[in-house]
Amino acid sequence: MIEASSFLHPSIGFLAFALAVPFFRGGAWRWLALVPPLLALYGIMTAEPGTYGGLHYIGETLVLGRVDKLSVVFGQVFAIIALIGMVYSIHLKDKGHYVAGSLYVAGGFGCVFAGDYVTLFLFWELMSVGSVFLVWQAGTKECVGAGFRYFMYHTVGGLFLLAGLLLRYKALGTFAFTHIDPATAHYYDWLILTGFCVNAAVVPLHAWLPDAYPRASVAGAVFMCAFTTKTAVYVLCRGFAGWEVLAIAGTIMAVFGVLYACIENNARRILSYHIVSQVGYMVAGIGIGTAMTLNGAVAHAYAHILYKGLLFMGTGCLLYATGTAKLDKLGGLAYRLPWVMVLYMIAALSISGMPIFNGFISKTMTITGAAEAHRTWLAFGMEVAAVGTFISVGIKLPYFAFWGRKREYTGELKPIPVNMYVAMAMGGFLCTLQGLYPDILYRYLPYAMEHAYHPWTTWHVLQALLLLGFSGLAFYFTRQVITPHSKLNLDFDYFYRLIGKLVMRVICWPISKVDDVWTEVYRTVGLRGLIGLGHKTAWFDRKGIDTVVDGSAYTVRNIGRAGAKVQTSRLQDYLALAVFLGLCLFGLVWYLG
Amino acid sequence: MNSGLGILLEKMRDNWKAWRIVFFVVLALLVVLNFFVHPHHPHFGLDKHPGFWAIFGCGIGLVMVLVMKKIVQPTIGRKEDYYDRGE
Repeated sequence: MIEASSFLHPSIGFLAFALAVPFFRGGAWRWLALVPPLLALYGIMTAEPGTYGGLHYIGETLVLGRVDKLSVVFGQVFAIIALIGMVYSIHLKDKGHYVAGSLYVAGGFGCVFAGDYVTLFLFWELMSVGSVFLVWQAGTKECVGAGFRYFMYHTVGGLFLLAGLLLRYKALGTFAFTHIDPATAHYYDWLILTGFCVNAAVVPLHAWLPDAYPRASVAGAVFMCAFTTKTAVYVLCRGFAGWEVLAIAGTIMAVFGVLYACIENNARRILSYHIVSQVGYMVAGIGIGTAMTLNGAVAHAYAHILYKGLLFMGTGCLLYATGTAKLDKLGGLAYRLPWVMVLYMIAALSISGMPIFNGFISKTMTITGAAEAHRTWLAFGMEVAAVGTFISVGIKLPYFAFWGRKREYTGELKPIPVNMYVAMAMGGFLCTLQGLYPDILYRYLPYAMEHAYHPWTTWHVLQALLLLGFSGLAFYFTRQVITPHSKLNLDFDYFYRLIGKLVMRVICWPISKVDDVWTEVYRTVGLRGLIGLGHKTAWFDRKGIDTVVDGSAYTVRNIGRAGAKVQTSRLQDYLALAVFLGLCLFGLVWYLG
Repeated sequence: MNSGLGILLEKMRDNWKAWRIVFFVVLALLVVLNFFVHPHHPHFGLDKHPGFWAIFGCGIGLVMVLVMKKIVQPTIGRKEDYYDRGE
């Protein structure tokens, strides 16, 4: 059973809520959305380390609850951001948001506490489906295509993971999800790593992220920016710590994301590229693999979830109020939405690593760790990324959205619901609190370090201020150049689309050829025969069948109608149905096992 | 609540020249401080010299913005409906 001895699995509340939502009536039920995150937080804070929930399925024991320091720290921040996200979106009446959001969050928790690859895979896929529906919740024309691309991409990533874990099982006879030593790694470990890297948005597998996140619904993006990439960071931390390839890839990500953010126009796409960049710090920390860089990666994941959630909430407010997140159409909003600006700036300074805010205590830990491990070039790359982060998220985005002396947004502003402000205030409070009292984060860090890291030294503060202050000066000099333009910047998804088109052509060409030939055959041979046959059957029908069949025809038609209702020919509905059936099956196995 | 802070921010904006002076003074002070406060363990060697991080921040920032906006974006920038054509 999932709920063994003293561990309340955080996914349970979310799954139960997702299944119950369709049956609720009225509007007051929405407040129940706050219950699963609170339950999850309670369950995680009170959990004793250990292994819970051995579930028997297909002849294997699935471990649903591996509770140790690493899973607890991720679970904790997941619960907090789920709570903040639910507060942010509680004004929404659309049930779809709550179902999709809850399934997605449940998937994230399931991955974090999974002790074996099968469990991990199941929740991994649940997360992928849940997030697709969060993209579609936006209800815009462009989100439909973005959702499909997102789903196809994550399905391919999931298949890499599946292939890897099955081949691994064949070779080793175990699904256990433990650390893999890079020295003795096999090709199946690389397959698993590839699957993980898709979700971690490792360059060049990252393009799904800046494609889908800016097109997701306002509230959906807040959830998505927290879970998918950070779950991947968690599994990399668990399985692939100390892999050199990750150290390099992570630093490339950190710089790459920053460079693209520099030329982006859409505020939420700027933030998306900065997810790639910030996750890069974490991936690099994991790849370097010392206790300090691993702790730095975990601390940065924790801090990142809070400030990135706040960033997406802030830009979400802009999108909600004005209907656009494109910087060339915004400007001068500081006077009309001043509190959005203030709360956004807390997050923007956090991500930049400004003292007082939580990026300062997490980012510097990873960089210092890299330097102390004598990975000078990696530390250098991360410092470069820090400069770019401040220029794009810390100055460019707010400058052109909230200030901007030339352009002002003069249109109507849709009033922003109070709960959105409350959620942002929660996020801002936590970002500041962690920055001022690093120990409330550091005490949960999983790895024992030789000597404790102290961020609040005179030098660290001065260095951060120098770096950020003079990055600001660089912005001042180039403020005419960096003005955003409404352009689409080609990224690696150009190649994904090329591959997609090629596959379509390979599949469609033979089918269309066969179709052509068949049409010809049908026209010459089939039609004449059919007409003759039609005359004969019509006679038989009139004389014999009509009297007998009429009764049963009604029955058939009714069944057909029910079937047709399910078969809407919309892929979205099939996907939802598949998940629903999957969950029912899972529940059945759980109940019977 | 909103209007009060909004008005305050508008006043601040109107005094932007004063804020610019504050900004430059703070930057100068930071560099001066750097002559007295040094890192215990310089990461890169060069960063033991005062003003390294100031030059680093400004230099990298300038290069990044100029290269990306002037060279890279003209190369990879397309019209916003680039992928939607022909659908």
